[in-house]
Amino acid sequence: MMVPVRCFTCGTVVGEHWEEFDERANEGDEDPEKVLDELGVDRYCCRRMLVSHTDLVDVVSPYQ
Amino acid sequence: MSVAYDVEFVEREDRDARFLVRGITPAFANGIRRAMLADVPTMAIDTVRFVENSSVMFDEQLALRLGLVPLSTPPEGEFGEDDTVTLSIDVEGPATAYSGDLISSDELVQPADENVPIIDLKDDQRLEAEADAVLDRGKDHAKHQGGVAVGYRHLQRVAAVEDLPEFEDSESRIVRGVIEDDGELVPTSEFDHDLSNRYPGKDVTVEDVPNAFVFHVETDGSFTVEDLVTRAAETIESRATELEDAVQL
Ligand SMILES: [Zn+2]
Repeated sequence: MMVPVRCFTCGTVVGEHWEEFDERANEGDEDPEKVLDELGVDRYCCRRMLVSHTDLVDVVSPYQ
Repeated sequence: MSVAYDVEFVEREDRDARFLVRGITPAFANGIRRAMLADVPTMAIDTVRFVENSSVMFDEQLALRLGLVPLSTPPEGEFGEDDTVTLSIDVEGPATAYSGDLISSDELVQPADENVPIIDLKDDQRLEAEADAVLDRGKDHAKHQGGVAVGYRHLQRVAAVEDLPEFEDSESRIVRGVIEDDGELVPTSEFDHDLSNRYPGKDVTVEDVPNAFVFHVETDGSFTVEDLVTRAAETIESRATELEDAVQL
């Protein structure tokens, strides 16, 4: 629903990078690989946290 | 131990460092690594009292998210195992509640990252809560784990022995970590982890340097790498003292 705060595997805080990643790579047309490199998300365990995430709050909120 | 330790930093930032330690056994290196993961106490939110939560997430989901936010951990001796620090959060929608919205009652305990989204609030939704942070260890919950992706490798000594035969292409040889070349420490990232980039046309030998380990340590922001390593060493010391006392009885 919301982006996980930390990487499941290694425990690095990845949540703080979500909004910038979403804006640049999902909404924008930048290369996700480059954006992650620039954000300092190096390990692939952390990278998949952001790459595979979908925000569902907007989908769920009408049914509250 | 009779051999003197020697510590040398290869890369050094607040939350991320690589350093070489000479003169320790593999068992001791692993002891330090495990102490950094499991035995160094850090602050984290443990109990949350919700005053109002009309967001799309349940109370316990939000409590988990709040718990995972790293908090700066005060210097040793400032807090005991049973002390708590109260943090409060009050955000009204439409807005996003961030970890930076947590207001701490103690100067020393603050959110280490301010940009972690806790929950997205829509119109008329509100999050108001009071949270107690406590000091605990990674053994008990991952949120108290100060060291992140802590590991070590042998230092590797690389020497170019001789030139390759004239018509032979040099094959790529991947090495990760830090190499020692003629006494000089070189992180392998400098030559894309491939020895054939650094020694083109040479035949190279790679061997582990005995009892020399290169640690790579990252922290979640609770404290600096330096703090983490020294505190880890202190926990080992205190456990050793405990054992000594117990044996003497
Ligand atoms: Zn990770």
